[in-house]
Amino acid sequence: MDWVFLAELTVNGAITGLSYSLFAIGLVLIYKSSSVPNLAQGGLTMLGAYVVLAFSYELGWPLWVAIPLAAVIMFFVGLGIERVALRRLAGRPIVMILMMTLGIDIFLRGTTLAIWGGAPRPMGLGVSYDPFFVGPLLLSRIHIVGALVAIALFVAFMLFFRSRQGIRLRAISDDYMASWSVGISVERGVGLSWALASVVAVATGVIWGEIQGVDQTLSLLLLKGLTVAVLGGLDSIVGAIVAGILLGIVENVGSGYLDQMVGGGSRDLVVAAVLILTVMLRPHGLFGRHDIERI
Amino acid sequence: MSSEETNSILSLNSIEVLYDSVLLAIKGVSLEVPNGGMVALLGSNGAGKSTTLKAISGLLKSERGRVSRGEIRFDGKIIGDVPPQDRVHMGICHVIEGRRVFEHLTPDENLEAAAPVSMSRQKINDEKARIYEYFPRLAERKASQSGYLSGGEQQMLAIGRALMTQPRLLMLDEPSLGLAPFLVAEIFGILQKINREQGVSILLVEQNALAALEIVSHGYLIENGRVVMHDTAEALKANSDIQEFYLGGGEGKNFHDIKHYRRRKRWLS
Ligand SMILES: Nc1ncnc2c1ncn2[C@@H]1O[C@H](COP(=O)(O)OP(=O)(O)O)[C@@H](O)[C@H]1O
Ligand SMILES: [Mg+2]
Repeated sequence: MDWVFLAELTVNGAITGLSYSLFAIGLVLIYKSSSVPNLAQGGLTMLGAYVVLAFSYELGWPLWVAIPLAAVIMFFVGLGIERVALRRLAGRPIVMILMMTLGIDIFLRGTTLAIWGGAPRPMGLGVSYDPFFVGPLLLSRIHIVGALVAIALFVAFMLFFRSRQGIRLRAISDDYMASWSVGISVERGVGLSWALASVVAVATGVIWGEIQGVDQTLSLLLLKGLTVAVLGGLDSIVGAIVAGILLGIVENVGSGYLDQMVGGGSRDLVVAAVLILTVMLRPHGLFGRHDIERI
Repeated sequence: MSSEETNSILSLNSIEVLYDSVLLAIKGVSLEVPNGGMVALLGSNGAGKSTTLKAISGLLKSERGRVSRGEIRFDGKIIGDVPPQDRVHMGICHVIEGRRVFEHLTPDENLEAAAPVSMSRQKINDEKARIYEYFPRLAERKASQSGYLSGGEQQMLAIGRALMTQPRLLMLDEPSLGLAPFLVAEIFGILQKINREQGVSILLVEQNALAALEIVSHGYLIENGRVVMHDTAEALKANSDIQEFYLGGGEGKNFHDIKHYRRRKRWLS
């Protein structure tokens, strides 16, 4: 057994996994407030990346202006999507709401294709590809940046959910009717969660845009993000972080050895296996909240 | 009538409620809650008590119900078109049936969640301290998960949470449901104290007429969506019909009702 190879796979897997967590945090925010797995989160991520490029690449503004500006715009895009598309579906069967988010995803893909075309564009973050060694381990710099952003957002949201507005959002996710009864604006709370998820989508879009280029395939991150979110428990930010690290390691180590045997392409297989096993064996995920049995 | 109206914080004038545009759940309910008073709305399961409260708090909206006739006045103003949140800001708070606390929040966070957005940190802390004084049991458990509190503690939390909204009219939907008699006595005693000390008017919905009539001044009896009796608590307690159906002998029936009701609720939730 080659221990350095195994350690390298593990550490890189954990770091890559945190970039999946980044995506999953967006899913968790919306799920927490409205119990909807947002199938449009991939589309939002892709849109976030394109909006950044619209300022940086097309207008030539520096990224430190383009990224915050895109975050502000996407905040309002999130608010708008909730207001226009989701609010009227309140109280409808969850499958209708799911179909709506799927529709939004397809719509966003089509729109970006029409405006910006389908050729991949570089994000131009300028993270170097020079080898980066920690001891004997070769690590990927851009994935380290992604991991740091994920951890920063994790800390920010942990603090947010202890604030007054954050407590109100958690109250909404517990019980709409009881929230209304004490004057909490459920609609505004759900809108806010969409807005925040759309801001997270900008961060995700920038990191993954740098990793794989900006085009419509960014929206396919949904698959891995959803796997992480489900494994973590769908409504747990801590879960998204831990599950991201776990999935990253399992995927990297698993495919690192499997690929040698089957000759490549086993990554998606490992991810799919994790998703299926989670749903079968532990539907609440690692940290998902259980509904408390009422006495 | 007019003198009564000026003294009323709440008055309902023959209101009707439709669910899903077809089902007439209440058919002409009129009632008054005097400013600073304590009134009970009694009736058996399905009589229309909860629907009446939801019409007042505006929570009907989320159940596809609406007031199709009559008017509801709070403080003399017609509130038919006021959205539920704004009614809370006006001072109407509805403690909904089944002590629906925010289960994954601590009792302390439950109180924070209900504080009006504009309330200052200082004021929130004062209000929480006052609520913990009314409910010392909550203070002991303020950092545990609310879903694991006992039924009595959850009901206390639901009432405390409502007090956080600074209500002038507190409406409670069957707070005694499923609680042991000593707990009902404790909670009703606290309600009386809140009413006296804070001047909060109270509209108490109950199937447990015996306990309710001990603390209110007036009571309304509702059956099949209509008010069939209205009198002082003393007179109602002395009334032979009330005695037969709600106070004496009916223990077995009441118990059965409650069991049946709880089973039904479990199916629905
Ligand atoms: N959300 C609803 N949709 C349709 N009908 C309802 C709804 N809630 C209550 N009802 C009906 O309205 C009537 C009164 O119910 P309710 O107000 O809950 O009575 P109570 O609180 O006195 O037990 C019942 O016939 C009940 O079936
Ligand atoms: Mg009821």
